[in-house]
Amino acid sequence: MSIPSDTIVALGTPFGTSAIAVVRASGPLAAELVRKIFGGSSQPRTIRRADYRDARGLVVDDVLFTYFAAPNSFTGEAMLEISCHGNPFIAQKILEDLVGRGCRPAEAGEFSKRAFLNGRLDLSQAEAVMDLIHARSEQALAAANQQLRGALGRQMNILISQLVKVLSHIEAYIDFPDEDLPPEDRLVVVRELEGLQASTSRLLATSHYGELLRAGIKTVILGEPNAGKSSLLNRLVGRERALVSSEPGTTRDYLEEYVIFGPYFFRFVDTAGLNPAPGPLEKRSMEMTLEQADNADIYLWVIDSTCPLPSLPLALAPRMTPANTIAVFNKIDLPSAKRGPLPQAFPDVSISALNGAGLEALQATVTKLAESFQVKIGEEIIAINTRHAHSLEQARVCLASAKDNLEQNDFSELVASNLRAALDAYGQIAGKIDNEQVLDKLFASFCIGK
Amino acid sequence: MSCNPAIGGLAKGQMVREIDALGGEMAINTDVTGIQFRLLNKSKGPAVQSPRAQCDKKAYQFRLKHTLELQPNLQVFQATVTGMIYSHGRVVGCRTSLDVDFIGRTVVITTGTFLRGLMHVGQSKNEGGRLGDFSAKTLSASLLEAGIELKRLKTGTPPRILGRSINFAGLQEQKGDIEPTLFAFHDTRDPGDMFHVESTGERRLGWKPGSEQVSCWLTHTTPASERIVRENLHKSAMYSGEIAGVGPRYCPSIEDKFVRFADKARHLLFLEPEGRNTNEYYINGLSTSLPFDVQVDLVHTIPGLEAAVILRPAYAVEYDFAIPTQMYPSLESRKAENLFLAGQINGTSGYEEAAAQGLVAGVNAVLKVRGEPPLVIQRHEAYIGVLIDDLVTKGTTEPYRMFTSRAEHRLLFNHGSSELRLYDHAKKHKLLSDNRLERVAKKANRITHWEIYLETSKSVGGSWAESIRCDKSTAALPAEFSAEPKEVREEVLYRVTYRGYLEREQRQIEKMKDVEKIRIPASLDFLGIPGLRRESAQKLHQLRPQNLGQASRISGVNPTDISILMVLLAARRNAPAR
Repeated sequence: MSIPSDTIVALGTPFGTSAIAVVRASGPLAAELVRKIFGGSSQPRTIRRADYRDARGLVVDDVLFTYFAAPNSFTGEAMLEISCHGNPFIAQKILEDLVGRGCRPAEAGEFSKRAFLNGRLDLSQAEAVMDLIHARSEQALAAANQQLRGALGRQMNILISQLVKVLSHIEAYIDFPDEDLPPEDRLVVVRELEGLQASTSRLLATSHYGELLRAGIKTVILGEPNAGKSSLLNRLVGRERALVSSEPGTTRDYLEEYVIFGPYFFRFVDTAGLNPAPGPLEKRSMEMTLEQADNADIYLWVIDSTCPLPSLPLALAPRMTPANTIAVFNKIDLPSAKRGPLPQAFPDVSISALNGAGLEALQATVTKLAESFQVKIGEEIIAINTRHAHSLEQARVCLASAKDNLEQNDFSELVASNLRAALDAYGQIAGKIDNEQVLDKLFASFCIGK
Repeated sequence: MSCNPAIGGLAKGQMVREIDALGGEMAINTDVTGIQFRLLNKSKGPAVQSPRAQCDKKAYQFRLKHTLELQPNLQVFQATVTGMIYSHGRVVGCRTSLDVDFIGRTVVITTGTFLRGLMHVGQSKNEGGRLGDFSAKTLSASLLEAGIELKRLKTGTPPRILGRSINFAGLQEQKGDIEPTLFAFHDTRDPGDMFHVESTGERRLGWKPGSEQVSCWLTHTTPASERIVRENLHKSAMYSGEIAGVGPRYCPSIEDKFVRFADKARHLLFLEPEGRNTNEYYINGLSTSLPFDVQVDLVHTIPGLEAAVILRPAYAVEYDFAIPTQMYPSLESRKAENLFLAGQINGTSGYEEAAAQGLVAGVNAVLKVRGEPPLVIQRHEAYIGVLIDDLVTKGTTEPYRMFTSRAEHRLLFNHGSSELRLYDHAKKHKLLSDNRLERVAKKANRITHWEIYLETSKSVGGSWAESIRCDKSTAALPAEFSAEPKEVREEVLYRVTYRGYLEREQRQIEKMKDVEKIRIPASLDFLGIPGLRRESAQKLHQLRPQNLGQASRISGVNPTDISILMVLLAARRNAPAR
């Protein structure tokens, strides 16, 4: 019985917040991963503590890891087990990094399957393993079907039918050279590929939950100049990051910081103040603020409680609701602080960015808001999401190569080769696409036959 | 030859070279009886380039017949087969219309379009598989008796016209290539290289390959043609509901073309000579089942054919085929042991597809007699592998023709590599002479040597291979390389230029190979496997794949089902023998 030779990864603990999450990798890459991520080799079956560094060299978390040499592991293959902090976003970052380093997200029950195939489980367990694969994949299938019935499915069907059309076009000119086909127009194909690339990228970017996992919950700090937005960011991050001064308009650009509160991963964006009467230089900064604020998940509306309550910025007012906005009354340490009535029933917190008062309450409020974004999901969905992103990324690369082929005037057979690879990648999400579909489209679109 | 005497073309040309690499006769026969040679798809890339030849219909037929007559250990006999002789569910021979029975350990049947063949010209119907020939009527019943399920397909041919009645002035001429691309890998003119029949030294029909080529001519339909077809649609056998069989989408009748692609003003037609010693021309593109009088009017609307004389009318032919998923990949029937099927009876169309199956079925019929495991060519090895795998795992609903787009590893199937790809099979089953096997091995060594040399030796600013991939120029390569034969140079450059793409193919194949190796025992009861989805279990039960790779290509069987099968098979393998 031969065993697949690739390296698989998955979360070994249930999705959700816990003290520790375990990410497992099994396969020939395990030893190399130890070397590349943690530097140096490792004694098998010894727990070591180290920084997990992603492919760009950035520290993701402080973790414990254990390397197992084949065949002395659960699966019988070389394995790497990483225990990170029990935050799903950290675990997800690590999973994605491992996929980026050549691992493949494991299929349902695949660790057990490998263990069985390598003789690590005894015969009486075979049926149990089959049940497990079945049960897990039923669950995964249910989740996948639900997604495929929804927006993702509709998007995938559109992408696939567009790509099948492009491919059948290319194939028609390859397989039927003696036919009286209309002249081949490569520019049309290039344009269609550009459309497909854009749609694929959009899909990658707009899969909101995936985006939250990858990029964090985008939390924009906004308010009038000198309301203390940068001071608040510094407080949240816990160190001097934004240039703070009492001079209004110090933050002309915007600043980003990544912070983890409890199970959530936030991307805080500090913006330039929203001056009701901006100067020419400020005007550009404010445009950037609005741009940043436009696609935020959460708004922290910082209000200087020593001043009269400002009105909501006009451009953003329709986007800001009690479900995504927190009113933050700052400067409560000052004697003249007072709180006016809010225009909407925003949750509100009073803080002093200067001395840190009220910050815990703010963290709790932000976390509570973030909770409402989380859909109840199990281990399989997170894996499916990683897989989707993995496949879409593959498709995007192949489409780009096909476009290069066309622009460099390469042979059609190479264009087709890359388009087929892209179609296979789509098929990993939406189900296998048979060659017959391409032929069906081809015969439906062209009059073939001498 | 029932259709036009053309051999090769897209994907088919590669298949002919694969047949040659396995010792088949088709390539040589085409080379020496070809009257026009063209290499198609020069602008689409080396992998999809395909040689095509127009043959002399009679010369092709007679030379091949002669070859069979000279083949040692082969006895040729002509009669209509009326049925199989069964004993205990196995085939032990066949009966003929002359009441002469043939008894054998294995039987290969290749029925062409003759199995209950029925020809239609308008409303007139004639039994037969080809104009002027009989129909095999009782054989179908004999196959049904063994439990083999049959269905009906349809194909058609255009009218044949008299060359001297064609006005060629104003028609576009299509000439053959000055440097013909031949099909056979070994030099057919060198007696020292000849295998079996050639070595007997008998005089053979044929001529120097590529000499004295003839031209084809291009013309097209006119609005008048369309009007005639539309006005007479109700008289067409196909449109009046006379025909039950399914026709091929890639070879539609002229009725279909006008109806389905109404926006197309005109359709291209090719006038192809049928031989050197005949004045008969084939109107490629004008297949129809309209009545004869309408055909005459229709032909006269075509530029150049205003006064053309029809020698033989166009006709549609319906015939039986056996659903091919009832076969093992060896082409042996699952329903009747020792019975092998090849060609149209398996739902394919085309000489090349038929020849490929005939070769594999023939080899396997012999291996079965010897008690050896069958020759099974994999999907990643050759178009022949794709063909047979598609047939036995997916089946077909129209006459199956090979296209390059059916092969997932098309880039590996450049026609020049056929001999190398199939060398192991040819050697294992002694399908080529020792002399030729040795030469293929030497050629393979030269290619590997140069591949490594170009990848590793430095030229200006990098390896030779890198500069080939960068500038796509081969001008400055070492002189020793230029001295190699063309077929070696071409293959080396192909591999070097496409290296990244070929490696991607190899990676995919490696992935697939693992599951391909896991055999499914014939006794496995798919319906009783816990955890397997009902739909998959039924599909698997019906199609009975022989290994996990095949199972994974069955539509509706998903990776989870494959995982479950993999675990189950491992469990059975590891179970202590009882």
